[in-house]
Amino acid sequence: MRSPTELDLGVGVLDHQLVDSEGRRCGNVDDLELKGIDEGFPRVVAILVGPPVWRGRGRLGRLAAAFARGQTVRVPWEEVETIDSAVRLKKTARELRLGRGDDRARRWVEWIPGS
Amino acid sequence: MSKIFQIALGILAAIGGFVDIGDLVFNTEAGAKFGYELLWVVVVGVVGIIVYSEMCGRVAAVSKRPVFDAIRERLGFGVGFGALVSSQIVNLMTLAAEVGGMALVLQLLSALPYRPLIVVAVVGIAVVTWLAPFEWIERIFGYGGLCLLVFAVGVIKLHPDWGSVGHGFVPQMSASGHLVYAYFAVGLLGAAMTPYEVYFYSSGVVEESWTPKDLGLNRANVIIGYGLGGFLSFALMITAGALFLPQGIEPQFVGTVALGAQVPLGAIGLLLALLGIFFAVGGAAIDTCFSGAYNFAQFFGWEWGKYRRPSGAPRFTIAWIVLLALALVVIMSGIDPVMLTEYAVIFSVVALPLTYIPILLVANDRTYMGRYVNGRLANTFGLLYLVIIVVVALTAIPLMIVTNQGQG
Repeated sequence: MRSPTELDLGVGVLDHQLVDSEGRRCGNVDDLELKGIDEGFPRVVAILVGPPVWRGRGRLGRLAAAFARGQTVRVPWEEVETIDSAVRLKKTARELRLGRGDDRARRWVEWIPGS
Repeated sequence: MSKIFQIALGILAAIGGFVDIGDLVFNTEAGAKFGYELLWVVVVGVVGIIVYSEMCGRVAAVSKRPVFDAIRERLGFGVGFGALVSSQIVNLMTLAAEVGGMALVLQLLSALPYRPLIVVAVVGIAVVTWLAPFEWIERIFGYGGLCLLVFAVGVIKLHPDWGSVGHGFVPQMSASGHLVYAYFAVGLLGAAMTPYEVYFYSSGVVEESWTPKDLGLNRANVIIGYGLGGFLSFALMITAGALFLPQGIEPQFVGTVALGAQVPLGAIGLLLALLGIFFAVGGAAIDTCFSGAYNFAQFFGWEWGKYRRPSGAPRFTIAWIVLLALALVVIMSGIDPVMLTEYAVIFSVVALPLTYIPILLVANDRTYMGRYVNGRLANTFGLLYLVIIVVVALTAIPLMIVTNQGQG
């Protein structure tokens, strides 16, 4: 990925929109997985997406997680293409197992004429 | 000609947001109680919504990020989720009230019973939003709402005392009933700056795939659209001040509002007023319904947009259908639509800071906005209105309780 000289993970990445290689919106950055904190060289290794991740996002996050279904999806940081106002990914949502809620919901809409 | 059509987004956002059922009644009630004394508050509200809509539209055109993306990015999951829940409750209340308002107008036009007409209104909205593309929804309801200009013609025929009207544009405190006056001032400001207007408008900018090239169009949209909304609000308030105040009439029905055009202009005036109210309230119903679906989708990262086919953004589609169905249930319970909007306006005032603070932050972020960040003018007004919004948010509910919803 293009590496900006300085990137604020809290403001510039966390909670941003994920967009796949075909321009499809496929979730938000719900949390980030960091490694190497103990060694003193923290680095981001993955983006975490899905309701179970919300539990780590404060009291209201736990409340929201209690009402939602779905699994955690882990997107390795290498899959990030660029970061602008959204986090753009190198592969399709399907390949990364993202946006599955929309895929599941599609059959509820598909039968209506004009959908 | 295409330029004229492109202003439709602003007109729909303004007619649907500014002159919805609550404003129709709030402005008319304010005029009936205080004559022209509260006209200046409408000016304050119009400038405020222009400042923040311009910012939201610019952020959306430059970064493709509508308001609720910004809310979650800046406030985080927890506080953002709080903002989501509160704004969705207000959206649903407003949507239910607008649907009720549509049914009331249909009832006045057809003399059929109210409840079946609620179903007609809901099915009508569902069919139109399903079939018509985004631009046509804007045009039908935005331009249909222009029938409300009949109130401006009515004002001229009513020959109000223009000296006192002019005096109403000067900020003042009323001699009588300070708290009731303050309640109406807060309500008028809240109604002018209702958050769903910017949710809808900023998402609409993404729907229409505006780019930085369209920033001039953005500015024209907010100034003309909300300017027009403000102009219509003046007309409603002056009508009420000239007509209802001397008679001691307290307008609490949609029909009373329309009467303001019938007295000076006869049956044609009444018909145009009812049609204008119908389209304005119907536009507001679509605004709030879509705003609700936009907010869910943006907060949770779902695919969204009317520019996608319904099956291309399935959770977004289900969200607006469910919201419409819930609104049907709420309004079928027999709750008074006018009272419901008044509550919705006052509660939405409390959510105002949670909506507008993230916008101001994002509009100042250079990594996000590049050279299109806020200039000094936008920031001066932005900060000034932030102070006003916070004051209004803190006083709205206490004032509502103390004044018994403006009844004194």
